[in-house]
Amino acid sequence: MKFKINRDHFSNGLAQVLNVVGSKATMPILSNVLIEADKDFILLTTTNLDLGIRCKIKADVKESGAVTLPVKRLASIVRDLPNVDVSLDASPNHQVKIASGGSNFRIMGIGKEEFPPLPEFAEEKSFNLEQAELTSMLKSVSYAQSTDETRYILNGVYFSFKEGKLTLVATDGRRLALTNKEIEVPATSAGSIILPAKTVAELVRMLDKGEKVKISFSERRAAFQINTDKDSSGLVDSIYLYSKVVEGNYPNYNQVIPKETHQRIKLERELFLQCVHRAALVCSEKSNSVKVKLSSNLLEITAQSPDFGDAHESMAIAYSGPELQVAFNPQFIMDPLRALAKDEVFFEVKDEVSPGVFKTLESFICVIMPVRLS
Amino acid sequence: MSKIRVLPDRVANQIAAGEVIERPAAVVKELVENALDAGATRIEVEFNHGGRSYMRIEDNGSGMSRDDALLALERHATSKIAEADDLNRLATFGFRGEALPSIASVSHFTLQTREASTDAGVEIVINGGRMVHVRDCGRPVGTRIEVSHLFNSVPARRKFLKTDTTEAAHIIHGVRLYALAFPQVAFSLIEDGRAIFRSPQCTTFEERIAGIFGKQTAEGLLTLEADEPGMKLRGLVGRPGVGRSTRHEMICFVNQRPVDSRTLNYALIESFHESLPKGRYPVAFVFFDIDPAAVDVNVHPAKREVRFRSEASVRSFVIRAILGRLREFGQAAAPVAVGNGNAGAATIGDTGRIANQPLAPQVAPSVTSSVITAIPERRVKDNAPYLQPQAPIQPPSPTAATVAPTQPAPPRSPTRAWRFLGLAHGAYALFETPAGLVLLDRRAAHERIWFERLQAQFREGQVPSQRLLLPVPVELDSIATALLLDRLEFFNGHGFEIVEFGRNFFRIESVPAWMEPTDAEPFVRDLLGALREGRLQEKNVDVARDELARLAVAKAIRLPEAAGEAELQGVLTQLFACRAPLTSPLGRPTQIELSHGELARRFQK
Repeated sequence: MKFKINRDHFSNGLAQVLNVVGSKATMPILSNVLIEADKDFILLTTTNLDLGIRCKIKADVKESGAVTLPVKRLASIVRDLPNVDVSLDASPNHQVKIASGGSNFRIMGIGKEEFPPLPEFAEEKSFNLEQAELTSMLKSVSYAQSTDETRYILNGVYFSFKEGKLTLVATDGRRLALTNKEIEVPATSAGSIILPAKTVAELVRMLDKGEKVKISFSERRAAFQINTDKDSSGLVDSIYLYSKVVEGNYPNYNQVIPKETHQRIKLERELFLQCVHRAALVCSEKSNSVKVKLSSNLLEITAQSPDFGDAHESMAIAYSGPELQVAFNPQFIMDPLRALAKDEVFFEVKDEVSPGVFKTLESFICVIMPVRLS
Repeated sequence: MSKIRVLPDRVANQIAAGEVIERPAAVVKELVENALDAGATRIEVEFNHGGRSYMRIEDNGSGMSRDDALLALERHATSKIAEADDLNRLATFGFRGEALPSIASVSHFTLQTREASTDAGVEIVINGGRMVHVRDCGRPVGTRIEVSHLFNSVPARRKFLKTDTTEAAHIIHGVRLYALAFPQVAFSLIEDGRAIFRSPQCTTFEERIAGIFGKQTAEGLLTLEADEPGMKLRGLVGRPGVGRSTRHEMICFVNQRPVDSRTLNYALIESFHESLPKGRYPVAFVFFDIDPAAVDVNVHPAKREVRFRSEASVRSFVIRAILGRLREFGQAAAPVAVGNGNAGAATIGDTGRIANQPLAPQVAPSVTSSVITAIPERRVKDNAPYLQPQAPIQPPSPTAATVAPTQPAPPRSPTRAWRFLGLAHGAYALFETPAGLVLLDRRAAHERIWFERLQAQFREGQVPSQRLLLPVPVELDSIATALLLDRLEFFNGHGFEIVEFGRNFFRIESVPAWMEPTDAEPFVRDLLGALREGRLQEKNVDVARDELARLAVAKAIRLPEAAGEAELQGVLTQLFACRAPLTSPLGRPTQIELSHGELARRFQK
């Protein structure tokens, strides 16, 4: 195998696939990147068996072939090479020569045979989406995923393609974020998956490289084909992301979304976020809650911690309902506010034991459960 | 011929010997007690073959005259009491007058003694209770008793002796006890011609312990001194976290008499409840002095057991004294004087006075003044900017009785006395301290912090409770159901919200804010398990809460893998604000200190 490649393109390609490789790989081959040269491009592939990424970069291939190299080390070397032109030459014993300007490296690789193949994907159910749209949908729910590893079902984002809608849901048992969008769902393609948190993070990072993204899934796997037509640093065609999905039944989220609206207020998102953020500065691990109090045209946010002090914020709102007060974990309020882009959000509350609900005009819902002092 | 006969003295003595002299160690004990009663300042004990073939106890006490010596070998002959009433005023060890004749009746017995007032000593030899001879001999003032061929005349008893090593261990333990009780007396103990220990007259108890139990044990001890009308407790106890797998180093003396008192033992174990893991026993050498009239030592012929007139008050006094000391030690061990926080509210605008204020947190009012004065002047000045602008802030909870928790405290200056060196295996933080090195167990430290945090929440009745989106269903058997229904209020008062949802079926609708929703169900089951075992007594809410907090900390803590210096310094500050920072709530140590001395020793410098 022998090819010439632009240093920055190569480096960019390696950066795409780098994150998958864990620091504690169980098999040495899993810390390597598979480099396959063919025609006028090279393919870079990494996998940790749960998640695999493949991207395609243009290169001047003299001799096709394949080899695997330790990806972290390779990425650092390539990034720091002195000259933009890099040539790479692999001998049959998997020794790879990298030359750029005056620097020459010889690196020991491992044969391609040992590299676990990415799953073959027989196309089952697939949908085409806009990348920008998927990004904003993912961002608006992904913060609510559970990080508690014992609750693996909730360690991911639930994708549901049903009844003419794509619905994304994430919850950790104390709050739930949901967003949906109308798309065409043929009866044969309806279905749902839970996409693991790590895949979600990678996906968000990859998106916005082009117009379209194609999602295909079966009961056990999901694949994303991310178009890279907007990219100008060497990526060609698409990036492929193959992931296992979390197997299990996602909890019935519909039952936790309050059916009726009690007191609804319209809030300026930024302003509310800042108020809560400031009030939360006095919170401690010991007393991690802020009180939200509604009274006639006034919203007050208070927080206190016994060994530090207290904070009081107020903002004018349009409200004429009964006076009421409810306490929340400030993080639960701030997360959705940060993730949204709209200037205005609606906040619905009922009493101190009922959930608070954030809504926007575009079918976004975030339910957060209150905290109480017993 | 009548069937009932009065037994001859010899037989009576042999029978009595069965009670008093059950093994060689008992002989040593009786004779050492006699020596001490005789005012000896030097006692030498020698034995061979676990005491079975030969024992010698020699002292420089007052000695006896010829007549006294002969009389002493009669039953119930004693110099120590004269009438029954004296039993209530016992200040000597012996009083029954049984020991000498009993020993003499079951061995080959040689007694040599001389009073200061006579020129010659007397030697009495008795074999198996029969007098062999009485004659003059030369010897210095004092008494020397040799006992050989013990139980030769009582083969049954001889058969029941354990191996030489076991018997020797009993003797050594016994002599150690007396050596501890009387540091002002020089003790030597010789086994088969080899010295086990020689401890000269010591001025302090610490020296004596180092002499007998070794320096290492002695270094891990804290002095203890407590007084109450009618009762006095002094001695040394192990630092929190220093424990043993057996009770052998838990030694109590009542009025200088080594005893095995359930009351004291339980009080000791109870005091270390929080400072040692379950199944470990404290190291303790304590002297408990009480009015002789309030204690009954005449429970057991060997006087090993004692009873107190008022067991409860003794117990609570001992627990109070030791707990107080352990906590005080915990506070004093803080890297810098802790608690400059709480003084703030009282002394706003008058920073100069701070140094004279009791600075310790309210929970431990007994920090010594040396700690307080140790706060550098500069530190006080550092605090000034925090103190001055302090506006009167409304206490969040007006019902709380104490001032300290409700007044917001000014932030502490960061701990700089301990330099953070690194984190090993994600679990142990290494600090350089003025005294050497400290390894901090992150988990244990967090457990302690959380434990006290939860305790405080429970006490103040302010348990934040997070409602769940998806209530967690719990199905129980009928016994657990009954238990849970019984304690529903307790559960719901401590952050849970559990409602009955059909037969043997419950729903957890809220969990304490610190708990992951997944943990709720296993935790409730654990709690019910503890209830079934009777560990969560409803009668005593405080105890139940402590137990609850102890169970809860395991669930509350989630350690991030990496932790930086700032975080660990923060942990340190929080830890040393705790009541008992040196141990986790389960009694495991939170930290291990490697002193300069220890390091030098290890490196053989």
